[in-house]
Amino acid sequence: MLPVVVVHGGAGHVPKDRAEISCVGVKEATKGAYVILRSGGSAMDAVVEAVTILENNPAYNAGRGSVLNVKGEVEMDALVMDGRTLGSGAVSAVRRVANPIQLARLVMEKTSHLCLTAEGASKFARAMGVPEVPEESLITDYATMRWKKNLNPDANPVKCQMGEMGTVGAVAVDKEGNVACATSTGGMINKMEGRVGDTPCIGCGGYADNQIGAVSPTGHGETIMKVTLPRLILFHMEQGKGPKEASDMGLAYMKERVSGLGGVITVDPTGQWAARFNSLQMSWAAAQQDQLHYGLYHGEDFTEPV
Amino acid sequence: MAELGGQNPLFTNIEKMRPVMVVHGGAWAIPDSLAEASVAGVKAAARAGMLNLTRGGGALDAVEVAVRMMEDDPTFDAGHGAVLNTDGEVELDAMIMEGRTLAAGAVSSVRNIANPVSLARAVMEKTNHVMLTGRGANLFAESIGVPTLPTQALVSEQERNQWEHYKHYDVAIKEYFNARWPSDTVGAVALDCCGNVACATSTGGIRNKMVGRVGDSPIIGSGGYADNEKGAVSCTGHGESVLKVTLARLILSHMDRGTPVSAAVEQSLRYMAVRVHGAGGAIAVSPSREWAARFTTERMAWAAIDGDLLHYGLNPQEEFKEPLI
Repeated sequence: MLPVVVVHGGAGHVPKDRAEISCVGVKEATKGAYVILRSGGSAMDAVVEAVTILENNPAYNAGRGSVLNVKGEVEMDALVMDGRTLGSGAVSAVRRVANPIQLARLVMEKTSHLCLTAEGASKFARAMGVPEVPEESLITDYATMRWKKNLNPDANPVKCQMGEMGTVGAVAVDKEGNVACATSTGGMINKMEGRVGDTPCIGCGGYADNQIGAVSPTGHGETIMKVTLPRLILFHMEQGKGPKEASDMGLAYMKERVSGLGGVITVDPTGQWAARFNSLQMSWAAAQQDQLHYGLYHGEDFTEPV
Repeated sequence: MAELGGQNPLFTNIEKMRPVMVVHGGAWAIPDSLAEASVAGVKAAARAGMLNLTRGGGALDAVEVAVRMMEDDPTFDAGHGAVLNTDGEVELDAMIMEGRTLAAGAVSSVRNIANPVSLARAVMEKTNHVMLTGRGANLFAESIGVPTLPTQALVSEQERNQWEHYKHYDVAIKEYFNARWPSDTVGAVALDCCGNVACATSTGGIRNKMVGRVGDSPIIGSGGYADNEKGAVSCTGHGESVLKVTLARLILSHMDRGTPVSAAVEQSLRYMAVRVHGAGGAIAVSPSREWAARFTTERMAWAAIDGDLLHYGLNPQEEFKEPLI
């Protein structure tokens, strides 16, 4: 059953014309991560690779292609977590770096802290020799169009968020049985400056523990935070539920208690995995035993050889 | 979920519940020179919170009042009395959460305001977001008329001297001291007469932390969590360890499965010690009026009011009681 990697490209309502790009991208990211795992690479390397590929892909709300805050600027959040040590790294509201997920990993590996924010995160990036990139290199026409549309006082950014490619994420179990998760996002359309969602908050934007499993969520950040969705799902798994059941229970609770919709990708240390969502769609793909699984709409589970 | 006038629907007793208030002033090796002031500070904060509750105020108001009082008290590392980051500046973190709707507010790395917990509450009540950071948090503060204070107003001369003394030390030495230095995050949990719970946590972080370092205090599920169905928790201690085990949410998962509050806190702290070698403390209250204050550090200043008694302590196994006047 090992190794396995699962990747998501965001839950919500993906417009038809962007549906295909959404699926192609997550498949590509999954393949890239699986190559690493199959040659004996670590779960951490695999999830960071998958998310890096998606950050570099302008079709997703992470890295290049991030949504814009209310001022038309890009502020990004990211999180990694290592299930073996419970080590974690996160950045919130970081600007002008191409790959926030790699910066998050540096926070984990090169500092004694778990999270750096805003200017502090940029200062650290400079200290690590991570190049600063021009803001424009991260901004796409699509993001600009959506920003302008939502400046209208009648606009409903939360509803419109559902029409956007979402946060990206990955979970993996490697040959050694180590689990890891990674999540990255540009956040919510037209968010206030400095708004931080679930993504860089451990337990909310992801969680990984070799003894239980790993989760990466996507959806409305504020509601994910209120129920600490990944941590909740893993509590259910600790009680004996499998990834699919635990994920469905967590999502149902989030919907019932705080009216939130979203999706998750979940693995347990034996390699059982699930990609579940109660939003209209979630682009996802998984690779295991040389088979690539993927889907977008409910009930879909296409397979092809990797 | 239908709510009747703000009452916890799980609460079926027609008689109003007697409220409970618990506060902490940080879990760390509190020196003797600060011991008396720390204990006096948490007692005063517990009284202020309970006064609010007995006048019919909600749990959310009570935790905010208690934490504000400790933010204003230079004895504690929150608001006034904060420690300095490696650039010699003040960066503050806080969170607040109420258990009925799971509404929450948080700020991280906000500069030079007196009461981060109130700003966190404003994020919760005046924006569509849960958390604001850095300059964005300060801009929001300005927009709602919260004044910015000069650093000198918030940081004691003693802290400034300590910071000067240690800033030239090697990073490795600083890290060593980090484990022993003030991490007197403050926090409160409350259960009001309608059965609603709330929590709040506030900190200035650890001395000489990296610019922009965010610890556990403003992170929902780590520094605090409140849910009418489970209870409310506020945590303190080695922030990075509290985060790795999402301590507040962990404690509540035990309580949710029927573990008594004290045991839930102790088991979770023990897990944190074994799994990630971190020490800390937590206060918790359950929907059925059970409460606890436990820690694995040398000391934690805490106080609780339950009925007519004020309970408080500082050293391990200590619990003093005095009647509430």
